Amino acid sequence: MAGAPDGGTVLSEKMLAARFAEVVLPHLGDALSLARWLTGNQADAEDVVQEACIKAHAGIAGFAGGNPRAWLLTIVRNASYTWMAKNRPRSVVAVGDLADLDDVSPPPDNDADSPEAALIAKANSAAVEAAIARLPQAFRETLVLREMNGLSYREIAAMLGVPQGTVMSRLARARGLLMTELGGRHHEPA
Amino acid sequence: MSPHENRPREDGPREDGLPQDPQDVKLMIHALVDGELDAAAALAVERRMAADPELAAEHARLLALRGAVANVPRPTPSDDFLARIAAIAEVKSPEEAEASKAASAKAEPLPPQQQGNVVAMRPRASRWFKSFDWRQMAASIALTAVLASGATQWLATADNGAESFAVAVANGHRRSLLAATPVDIVSSDRHTVKPWLDGRIGVSPPAPDMAKDGYALLGGRVEVIGDKPMPALVYRHHEHLITLVAAPRQNEAKSVPVADDLSAGGFLLVHWTDDAFSYWAISDAERPALDDFVARFRAAIIANPAAGSPG
Repeated sequence: MAGAPDGGTVLSEKMLAARFAEVVLPHLGDALSLARWLTGNQADAEDVVQEACIKAHAGIAGFAGGNPRAWLLTIVRNASYTWMAKNRPRSVVAVGDLADLDDVSPPPDNDADSPEAALIAKANSAAVEAAIARLPQAFRETLVLREMNGLSYREIAAMLGVPQGTVMSRLARARGLLMTELGGRHHEPA
Repeated sequence: MSPHENRPREDGPREDGLPQDPQDVKLMIHALVDGELDAAAALAVERRMAADPELAAEHARLLALRGAVANVPRPTPSDDFLARIAAIAEVKSPEEAEASKAASAKAEPLPPQQQGNVVAMRPRASRWFKSFDWRQMAASIALTAVLASGATQWLATADNGAESFAVAVANGHRRSLLAATPVDIVSSDRHTVKPWLDGRIGVSPPAPDMAKDGYALLGGRVEVIGDKPMPALVYRHHEHLITLVAAPRQNEAKSVPVADDLSAGGFLLVHWTDDAFSYWAISDAERPALDDFVARFRAAIIANPAAGSPG
């Protein structure tokens, strides 16, 4: 028993494959979703997710419990920005810009008329999609992690490396912009 | 900003524990919609909304927006894509693995017809992909891979018992980290844990409480390794859990009087035996912490054999 043949490491490639199947494969849809919203289109998202999955496979031995989806999405997010920096350097938002975004004043209040909620609910998905795509990167990312990927505030905060309060305010800003646009109130440009 | 004079004003701060700032209250409504509030806070926010039409309208807009966003179609992984990803984990010869990693690392976007060639798929499999929801698909791939690797693992058991045992211990530990609770019986009292294990599987290992050493006994669970149920104790050390599987010693089992450092499944393991049990301690804690735990555990059962009587 003392000292397995390969010096005590008993993590075989087959075990790695099983873990990969257990941890990564169930969350591919979420991974694609995030990459698609970060990069802007499906074909790029597939390339990004494939790169992320290769990284995930290489690092799978380091995954020690926790939320596998959040773990994979963190890798996907990093891969997305790496990819964007390489392929679309102009579109990457600098870190300084994020701080500025968080500082801006709270979103304009909308009047409390219920027809607006009805308008929002009736918005067709193409319009919603376009509105999300127009959000500033930091807001879009937070919104997608919450609405599309279903991560908790705490998981998003850990992934982005920001306080939960920042996650909450970005989410509120993102939704405020979407509601303004979809609620048919164009006098306040988003 | 909306006309604040429309909002019902109250004298003095409210006593419901919610923020006073109107913008912060709106964040609380987002948190309510996101299911991030506990029952008490949710109740307080609902009361605020009942008293304030503007907040209620914000809530209605948020729900409407949530519904609209939920209708946005999600990208579905294509057949080719699923095959490409599944191929990453396929067990290959080292040269093949290197070659494929090098190819993927270039990450040149391939034209669609070339993507199809990355992994040749049988037509039948392709139809199968198309006719199923991708989530079921991914789950099936996962299940198949797990089953397949499990089967191979059993074939390997005959010639490398210790290795597969360590892997099984590691898998049990990982499952316990993913589960709602790592223990079946929650108790820091060995007088509770030992009888529970005795009652379940007729055997219980020493379960010294080492809280004063920084290793609190959380409880116990039953691990099934091979075809045998085995007692497992769970200790907590700071943020790390330590699972200690104690297999009753069989005649044929090798004696490992000196703790043996191993690793499996990305976790560190320590293995040793005494007269009655074969112990496997596993954790994601650092090696020194795990070694310290083992040393203290062994000292504790020598100092207090009553805690350590088997069964």
